[in-house]
Amino acid sequence: MAVSVELRVEGVEKAFDAGSERRILGGVSFTAPAGSILCVLGPSGCGKTTLLRIIAGLETPDGGRVTIGDRVVAGPAPEIGYITQEPTLLPWRTVLGNVELGLEFAGVPREKRHATALQHLELVELAGFDGYHPKQISGGMKQKVALARSLAVEPRVLLLDEPFAALDAQTRNALQEVLLHVLERTRTTVVFVTHNVDEAVFLGDAVVCMTAQPTRVGKFVEVNVPRPRDRTGPELNALRKELLVFLAEERLKARLAGQENSLLPPPPAAARSVGMFDGSRGQ
Amino acid sequence: MKRSVVLLSSLVLLAAAASPAAAAEKLRLGYLRSDLHHLAAWVGIEKGFFRDEGLEVEVAGIFNAGAEEMSAFASKGIDVGYLGMAPSVTGVANKAASVKAAALANAEGSAIVVRADSPLRQVKELAGKTVAIPGYASVQDFLLHRALEAAGLEAGAVKIIVVKPPEMITALESSQIDAFIAWEPHATKAVTKGVGRVLIPSSQIWQGHPCCVVAFEGSVAHDRPVVVQAFLRAHAKATAFILANTDEAVRTGVQYTGMDEKTVRMALGNITYRSELERAPVREYASYLARLGYIKETDPDAILRDYIDPAGLVKDARP
Amino acid sequence: MSGRRWHFLLQLGPLVAVALLWEALGAAGIVPENRLPPPTHVLGGLGELISRGLPPGSSLLGHCAASLRRVFGGVGAALAVAIPLGLLLGRSSRLRTLVHPFVELTRPIPPLAWVPLAILWFGIGDLSAVFIIFLGAFFPILLNTVTGVLSIDRGLIESAVILGASKRDLFLKVLAPGATPAIMTGVRIAVGVGWMTLVAAEFTGVKSGYGLGYMIMTARDIQRADQIVAGMLVIGLIGFGMDSLIRIGERRLLQWR
Repeated sequence: MAVSVELRVEGVEKAFDAGSERRILGGVSFTAPAGSILCVLGPSGCGKTTLLRIIAGLETPDGGRVTIGDRVVAGPAPEIGYITQEPTLLPWRTVLGNVELGLEFAGVPREKRHATALQHLELVELAGFDGYHPKQISGGMKQKVALARSLAVEPRVLLLDEPFAALDAQTRNALQEVLLHVLERTRTTVVFVTHNVDEAVFLGDAVVCMTAQPTRVGKFVEVNVPRPRDRTGPELNALRKELLVFLAEERLKARLAGQENSLLPPPPAAARSVGMFDGSRGQ
Repeated sequence: MKRSVVLLSSLVLLAAAASPAAAAEKLRLGYLRSDLHHLAAWVGIEKGFFRDEGLEVEVAGIFNAGAEEMSAFASKGIDVGYLGMAPSVTGVANKAASVKAAALANAEGSAIVVRADSPLRQVKELAGKTVAIPGYASVQDFLLHRALEAAGLEAGAVKIIVVKPPEMITALESSQIDAFIAWEPHATKAVTKGVGRVLIPSSQIWQGHPCCVVAFEGSVAHDRPVVVQAFLRAHAKATAFILANTDEAVRTGVQYTGMDEKTVRMALGNITYRSELERAPVREYASYLARLGYIKETDPDAILRDYIDPAGLVKDARP
Repeated sequence: MSGRRWHFLLQLGPLVAVALLWEALGAAGIVPENRLPPPTHVLGGLGELISRGLPPGSSLLGHCAASLRRVFGGVGAALAVAIPLGLLLGRSSRLRTLVHPFVELTRPIPPLAWVPLAILWFGIGDLSAVFIIFLGAFFPILLNTVTGVLSIDRGLIESAVILGASKRDLFLKVLAPGATPAIMTGVRIAVGVGWMTLVAAEFTGVKSGYGLGYMIMTARDIQRADQIVAGMLVIGLIGFGMDSLIRIGERRLLQWR
């Protein structure tokens, strides 16, 4: 198990389009203490995904920087785990084949690879499914595999972008508990992006609220409620109310400022990728 | 007055009815590309011999091989054609088309050619070598087999492949093949180009062997006998002209083959132009083709009956 | 199981019906036998192709083997060149732009138009036939590979990069398997085109004297229409067989879909 590290986001800025005046991120700063879970909450379209991609090293900021431990983030790497809403499992590989993918790339010999991968599958409560193919398992199970896959390479930081948003409420709750259980063991520093207030207060050690564009940190709340937490308990309810009010205010501000359309989700990240991924999907 | 008008008009009508039809008879002609054996057809066109016989001859097809020309006969695309005796007999025997041979176009005029620097001197030395023919069941295929047989070789002793005559010289030059057999002027062309040397001319394989014939599509032979006779007369005239006027013949040959004068003149010397068609050689072709396995029909007389109209298309059509 | 057997019979039915109609038309003299030989003649011709061979002495099996050899050679060469090239082109739009004019200029030229050049360069042996087939097979495989790579979810590629994939890892473990469904389609098309091109390529003469196109050309020379059609039947059957095999292989390879 790797040693927990601190993640610092310092004054990160990002323009809407290359050379555009309009900014999505207008100087975001926050710190996730080592081994903690930081939830990032914000209205849709405020640039949460862009922010996370910058932290992951998939995009470069126009201003500011991200530091993990003592190193500035300069590009994607296995130590910065990244899980998206759509599980990106390789459909032609089995569950086991997917989980050991990163280990394969690192050149780990087969025996050890298998053992580590099976361990992580057990961790996410998928023991026995190692021989299945992605098309044979449910959405929730796929996300568990994605989680196991990221954790198998022992990342220092784990980023999750609304990973459970496409799942039904029961599955979502179950997966939140699996995540918490796993993180208890690994103590990885986590940044968890969501638009779901319930999820944010249930999971996070702290919640960072984003404003509308140009996005900045609008509110920072610590959740000093010991785990296991009662989802419908009074402490979480109070927090929930506070956050919902803040979000509503931001939405109103945005509408008044005529930024209605800024609340639309940004174009698919793939089309605006820079760096390694030249060329878009269209011909 | 009325009676003289009636008399005059009747006379005019009678005169009109009695005057001979001035319109010429149309015939669609086919021949092989750059085949000097078919010189009589070209001369007939150039010197107007067909026109003189009241025929309007239109060149409806220039073919790469006799089998192609037989297909044209089968689809009634041509009325009369110059082509090899072998492919035409094969086609008739295999019931591919209804065709009647009426005259000869030429005799001899092919040769087996080897590389200019080759040590081969005799046919029997071709054993184990690769020899190209223009096509199966062609006159050249036939001649090659006869030459091999005469030299005591089995058919399988030589590797036979098909190459189109224009490509034969290149293939010989680059040693893809060791020898080829083709109709003039391809054989002479190899010599004048310095690429090849004649191993044996066809006149030595089978002396006086008939080569190409003048054939008519079955229904034309049956329905238009007058036209057939007219054409044969013109053909005989053209044949005689070639024998008497070498220079002009050479000029026409150059015009239609596109080859140089020296080659055409030399090649002409190897060809015998003759128009009398005889039965015996046809029977010979038929039985040999059956032996080679190209035709199913094994009764040469049956083939002969289909091939040459006994009613006597084959007249002595001297001009 | 009876469901599948019934389905098979249902497909066979129309073929049999057409054959019977064809036979009847021929027997009634409506379709002249020398233009389109009826099925009985064709089967007879096929029998002779098998027993005696055409040209006499050259076995049908020998012809099939020679033609198949050339197709596998040409398609194999196309696979070896087009797949790696396609994977590279799929990844880099810069390369695609560079290569685009060459591809779009050469692609429309029918492989058969290359025959004279091929014979000049490679002679009349197997190599020129293989070259012609290579040209026919190359473009379907190349274009399908590029499409295959472009159709891979970008998220998959990003995940692989995040997990530490090297360029080589990416090509071998993500792009190639991801593009395989499209590549298989390309292979099916390529084999079909290659097989069709082959026969025509063999018309121009073939040094070994073996090949199905060469056999048909011989049948044409000796004006045996029944053997021409019998030869065509053999070509069609083999082509169908190859396509079926590829489809089975495709299904097995792509079970994960």
